[in-house]
Amino acid sequence: MYQYTPFDTQFVKQRAAQFRDQLERNLAGKLGDDEFRALRLQNGWYIQRHAPMARIAVPYGELSATQLRMLARIAREFDRGYAHFTTRQNCQYNWIPLPRAADVMDLLASVSMHGIQTSGNCIRNITSDCFAGVAADEIVDPRPYCEILRQWSTLHPEFAFLPRKFKIAVSGAHEDRAAIAWHDIGLQLLKNDKGEVGFKVLVGGGMGRTPVIGTVIDEFLPWQNILVFIEAIVRVYNRYGRRDNMYKARIKILVKAEGQRFIDDVAKEYKNILERDLDGSAHIVTQAELDRVAAHFRLPDGVAPIANGKLQVPADAPASFTRWTERNVHAHQIAGYRAVTLSLKRTGQAPGDATDTQMELAADLADKFSAGELRVSHDQNLVLPWVKESDLFALWEAARAASFATPNIGLLTDMIACPGGDFCALANARSIPIAADITERFDDIDELYDIGDIDLHISGCINSCGHHHSGHIGILGVDKDGSEWYQVTLGGLDGSAISGHASTAGKVIGPSFAADEVADVIEAVLDTYREQRTAASERFIDTVKRIGLDPFKAAANAQRRSTAQTA
Amino acid sequence: MKFIDTTRDPWHTITGEDGPMVTLTPAPQSLLTHTQWSGVRNHWPSGMPVGVLFPNDADIEELADDLPRLSLIVLHFPKWVDGRAYSQARLLRSRYRFSGQVRATGEVLVDMLPLLKRTGFDAVVMRADQSIDAAERALRFFPGHYQGDVKERPLFARSTGNEYPDAESFNQAGSSI
Repeated sequence: MYQYTPFDTQFVKQRAAQFRDQLERNLAGKLGDDEFRALRLQNGWYIQRHAPMARIAVPYGELSATQLRMLARIAREFDRGYAHFTTRQNCQYNWIPLPRAADVMDLLASVSMHGIQTSGNCIRNITSDCFAGVAADEIVDPRPYCEILRQWSTLHPEFAFLPRKFKIAVSGAHEDRAAIAWHDIGLQLLKNDKGEVGFKVLVGGGMGRTPVIGTVIDEFLPWQNILVFIEAIVRVYNRYGRRDNMYKARIKILVKAEGQRFIDDVAKEYKNILERDLDGSAHIVTQAELDRVAAHFRLPDGVAPIANGKLQVPADAPASFTRWTERNVHAHQIAGYRAVTLSLKRTGQAPGDATDTQMELAADLADKFSAGELRVSHDQNLVLPWVKESDLFALWEAARAASFATPNIGLLTDMIACPGGDFCALANARSIPIAADITERFDDIDELYDIGDIDLHISGCINSCGHHHSGHIGILGVDKDGSEWYQVTLGGLDGSAISGHASTAGKVIGPSFAADEVADVIEAVLDTYREQRTAASERFIDTVKRIGLDPFKAAANAQRRSTAQTA
Repeated sequence: MKFIDTTRDPWHTITGEDGPMVTLTPAPQSLLTHTQWSGVRNHWPSGMPVGVLFPNDADIEELADDLPRLSLIVLHFPKWVDGRAYSQARLLRSRYRFSGQVRATGEVLVDMLPLLKRTGFDAVVMRADQSIDAAERALRFFPGHYQGDVKERPLFARSTGNEYPDAESFNQAGSSI
């Protein structure tokens, strides 16, 4: 994985020093709260329901065991002993008092971490495939390009105060595991007939009040020109994006409003940079720079193809191990290796949460079984990317002892959920109790297996941090007259293989449900699926596509009790 | 970076009782609104120094033909978190090679200074309550950056041996603050 150069190290230390200066000026009354707000946001510090929320960047989801141990230490010494992993592969704390913020940033800087641009109206942390560099279906390893983008976007002087936040996701595999079409810019690495590398560039995707799938703006942009092209897109957005209404300020609104004119403006700006600007070609990435960065992503020491590295399953291995190998163990591009998901979805803990002890155990597992490296997945789990097949049984036993071995990856209880109203000041309703209800209702692994592959996504408000729009089943918390209600959508697609490599927003199946009806509604919807499917092999999403929403609507409406009058 | 004290600034706007005057007599170091300039540009004496106040929601390209005649362009931050003028400044310097003064006005705060400098501003009128000392300190936190700007090439494109500021001076820059 990427190792900081002396420059990178100094840079994050200076960033921490700059933040301390701003914090101290704020605490001394020399920097007003309003003005400090935009500055602390660009370092990941929100003010939330209970305390500031700190969002720590995990660039493109890659994390070392050492870094994870520091995250555990911060959870223990500064927070209440846990942290939350997000769909954007970041790590969040909820209970750190603001006066201690600068100390946290110093500790993070000591392990090459920071909160740069994890919030604010700027280019956010770059996300990618959690299996980048190990995926069996990989076309091009996206990590060097992600790192080049990370560096380019870090403290970009022109693009620090855009109309609204700006998110970039990169995929380099056949399957899109980064939901790229749902991002302000989505990048798909490709190879052309000559074997040259380029990007398919999508622009203007996003969730929120107006879910929009990104528009393809270039089918094959040579990799060398990616920074120049993105500069052109972001400059057009910075100049012409709406600033009068924050709900209409994302680039998706500009792209929709302007249509072809937006695409033409970007093409013209791109040409102008290259042809007219002083040293306009300076940001064309050189082969030497790509090589320099790519050298960081060589195979870890000791990892090499294993000819006879067959999966060793003891004859008396329990069925739960077999299930774990089916759900939590993933194909790898190096013979004899697998990637393994440590499930952060289990009864009694919120989706994506991990305690300090669990994080330390995960770091130990990474050291022992995965070359000291982990990934944070878009689905809010941890991944060990470099596991020998011959180590799987030993890893399973160790993971089980640490409650990481729930064999539910891709199943109903492997749901995405935002922290919701329990923590988030923006939320209209709580997500965690809904997630807990569903997890308890479906605690039978046989039943989960029978339901099969499904994406359940829960957001506590329309900001859509829980990606409800892209869930096969989406649950959205809404506020009506001061109480919590939940809208249910069906048929959303995130771009992954089980979504048919397509992206679309789900459709609402009727008026909102009361909190105590939601688990019943989900059960009724799933019962309908199991009655209607043509065979056990027909997935939930395929049944929804085939028979439409009506049968599900009817089943869901039959569950109304408190909402019976409004239905 | 030049910190402008408006009470001593030789540049003066031409304002009547009803706001900016439409008809005006050319005088040196006049600072005109974009509308005023559009009205007088055809008969402004060549060689007479003139500056233009340019709004942040207009296309800076509109000034392109006049740039050789302008000594000063004042770009506006109606709110400090409205970043449009950064792009205007960047275009003035890199695309149009404007060599006169580019000045920031409006809600100009200490922590904007590094961004202003790197996008091509060389003068600021800070909001009255801002400290010049703190602004100068804000300019010293980062002796180097990753991406290029109007003065520097990107880190990866600099000549060999000049890629990184040495760690010592980088550290010193912060610790001396």
